[in-house]
Amino acid sequence: MSTSTPRNARQRLAAPTAAMLPRIGDSLSFLYIDIARIVQDDTGVTALVQLGDDIRRVALPTAALGCLLLGPGVSITTRALSTFARHGTTVICTGNAGVRCYIATTPDSLPTRWLETQARAWADDTTRTAVARRMYQRRFGDTAPADATISQLRGLEGQRMKALYRMLAEQNGVRPFKRSYAPDDWDAQDPVNRALSAANTCLYGITHAAINALGCTPGLGFVHTGTSHSFIYDIADLYKAQLTLPLAFTLHDSTDPDGQARRSFRDGLRLFRLLPRIVADIQTLLEPDDGTRQEDAQDATEELVDLWDPDFGRLAGGTNYGHQ
Amino acid sequence: MTIIATTAIPGHLRGALTRWMTEPMPGLYVGTLSARVRTELWSAVAATINDGAALLLHPDDNEQGFTLHTAGQRRRTPIDLDGLTLIALNPSEPEPAADHPRGDPPA
Repeated sequence: MSTSTPRNARQRLAAPTAAMLPRIGDSLSFLYIDIARIVQDDTGVTALVQLGDDIRRVALPTAALGCLLLGPGVSITTRALSTFARHGTTVICTGNAGVRCYIATTPDSLPTRWLETQARAWADDTTRTAVARRMYQRRFGDTAPADATISQLRGLEGQRMKALYRMLAEQNGVRPFKRSYAPDDWDAQDPVNRALSAANTCLYGITHAAINALGCTPGLGFVHTGTSHSFIYDIADLYKAQLTLPLAFTLHDSTDPDGQARRSFRDGLRLFRLLPRIVADIQTLLEPDDGTRQEDAQDATEELVDLWDPDFGRLAGGTNYGHQ
Repeated sequence: MTIIATTAIPGHLRGALTRWMTEPMPGLYVGTLSARVRTELWSAVAATINDGAALLLHPDDNEQGFTLHTAGQRRRTPIDLDGLTLIALNPSEPEPAADHPRGDPPA
């Protein structure tokens, strides 16, 4: 909100400006909570959790979180949810079985520069193909033939993933391994599948949060298409082979694969610097020739609303053009 | 950097802490200690705290960038949520009012 008078400090604390919120690359990656009641009290957002015999209150760092994953048994008030929205935290409901249903809380009034870039690149088949090709090439490195078509790249990718599964299964002595995603029969699955589903859920959530923070839309995918999460799947697939797959296979004899996956995943994220990397990767995929790569989308400037003109492009808003 | 924050601790302990660290505010001690000295000092603090409360805070190589420990009867409890440390308030602390009946928090 661009007001002409500087807002006083107390108002800025209640409704923080972009400059006061950590950039997505600096924020805490994720927080998973289940069996709790989340409320907004006088001062902040509090989770009421059962510790031993009594109910304890835990303050949640809303402004410092990238995304909040709500597991089963959580109730949350609308006031608390709107605080998360105001702080640009993406809130995601996950079932115990990794069944995801998203509430994408997008930050209030973001610049649309990257949304427009994404929409332009997606709407034209030539540029869309180019972006999809860059996504595949990023996964292969330089091993992909430069002149391969998208369908050849898709085939190569399938082979690569098969080989990776086989190699990881052999290394960890869990052959034969079959990937299955069975939300309706969660506890009967083997630990590797459970760990993989739990870690992937976190990865999707974090990817969603990064896409939201840039102001892009999760619905316009380049490799994936047809669901409102297509772009999330596109981006998350860039990192699965490095992050979630090796992690899941190391937990093949774990008694608590879901929890351990999330715990190890957090350390992996930090070492991998995933959040800043996602932001930079999305920007590079959509606009490879831009040499001035900004660290992330949240410029701490007062955003301005421009008017669009088919001949002149962008005209300064806040001006009356009635006399022309 | 190491920070120790204390409330209601015995006088001899306050004096002892000033011999290792500076006290820029009553009950708050800041200093640069090696990991070993820090561990030794903290175990002595935790053992002599009676019914007060104390907190040890130092930078660490994890996602949040720090690690914290608490001691004493009136302490708040750190809880670990998949590797993220949050604080559970002490049950004896007064509860603030819950959700606002009207739209916005007081601004």
